[in-house]
Amino acid sequence: MENKSRLNQSHNLPGTLVCVEGIDGSGKSTQLIILRDWLKSLKQDVIFTEWNSSDLISQTTKLAKKKNLLSPRTFSLLHAVDFADRLEQVIIPALKAGFIVLADRYVYTAFARDVARGVDRNWVRKVYGFAVKPDLTLYFRVTEDVSLERICSNRAPKFYEAGMDLKISSDPYESYKIFQKRVNDEYKSMINEYGLVEIDANESIHNKQVFFREKVKEVLSQKGIFL
Amino acid sequence: MTGYKSKHGYDGLLIVIEGTDGSGKSTQISRLKRWIEDQSYGAMVSEWKTSKFIADAINDAKDRNLLNATTFSLLYAADFADRLEQVIIPALKAGFVVILDRYIYTAYARDTVRGHDIEWLKNLYDYAPEPDMVFYLDVPVEILLKRIIGTTGLDYWESGRDIGLSNDFYKSFQIYQSKCLEQYHKMIDEYNFISIDGTLSEKDIHKKIIEKVENILEI
Repeated sequence: MENKSRLNQSHNLPGTLVCVEGIDGSGKSTQLIILRDWLKSLKQDVIFTEWNSSDLISQTTKLAKKKNLLSPRTFSLLHAVDFADRLEQVIIPALKAGFIVLADRYVYTAFARDVARGVDRNWVRKVYGFAVKPDLTLYFRVTEDVSLERICSNRAPKFYEAGMDLKISSDPYESYKIFQKRVNDEYKSMINEYGLVEIDANESIHNKQVFFREKVKEVLSQKGIFL
Repeated sequence: MTGYKSKHGYDGLLIVIEGTDGSGKSTQISRLKRWIEDQSYGAMVSEWKTSKFIADAINDAKDRNLLNATTFSLLYAADFADRLEQVIIPALKAGFVVILDRYIYTAYARDTVRGHDIEWLKNLYDYAPEPDMVFYLDVPVEILLKRIIGTTGLDYWESGRDIGLSNDFYKSFQIYQSKCLEQYHKMIDEYNFISIDGTLSEKDIHKKIIEKVENILEI
């Protein structure tokens, strides 16, 4: 069953799918934007897509989050709706048209966060069984402490990012660290499972971008695109 | 109790009424609910697609024609998960007889017709408690068509227009509903549906239902 999933086979579409993953404050979004601008400057066809941003459902999910109304399983399914919508409306058409698709978070975010919330590991993987396999996924590794420092230098952790719904600790800072550690542990276990490419998020912006571009050049060259 | 133990382990009972639109489910459900209450039991009804937040999102997406087969399927699954956790399971724990207007079989029928793999669907709903009884109201597609046209009229989604079966509304409904009926028929044995001829009189159908329900209620 597991091996039959599309996540374990190449998509065979002309385009290239590049994803970044990691907990908040790992600098992945910054890296993706720098990469996007570079690719555009080289006249590549690029589109950009973010987690939980589809027209269809993201407002419902945000509203429900605000009211703390939904269980981990329901959340998981709503995020899957959002993803499925973007996959079929944006990602797959763009891959068919030969675009480089840059995804800020992909299914691995669901696998990490939902499992950290207690959702069954195999269940969530099967739910996302329709997802196509990325050509490259970078996992930005950062510790929970550094993440907390960066995200919460001028505000308290938000309810869900701190995993307060799990009632681990009534202190949001404490809860954030425990919850994000769980998320990080899930990511680490996916490095081998899905071939995520690990990058040390503590490196300088420049060093990370140099590494990122190398990896992107590699996968593009396999498609006959030489930058 | 008459020695009956619920299949899901909760104190209450879970009774499902399945069938396509126009099969007479709603009428039978309100009669059954009244009858159960007359026997001094607590009964409650939960309908498909009625969770607080998600049902609105589904209706909105349907109105704007935004759904594809996968988002359709997942949105209904989210609605179900929410209702299950917020409404159905608490009621079962409290000992209610919960009557469900449609259950996971509706999703299995509709979503396989929309091209989804049944194994994927079974995983999606694998946490759903097993019902104590499933009644299936069987009505041939020609009669369904007459009933629907005579009442609510043909609906875009209930006619499967989203999957491009035919540009003709009537034809599309006929094909789509026939395919759904075919899926329901396949499930009769697998899930022990009690299949009832939905063309019988309201009263006769009701009688057949309560004869069976009596066996699991302590009367």
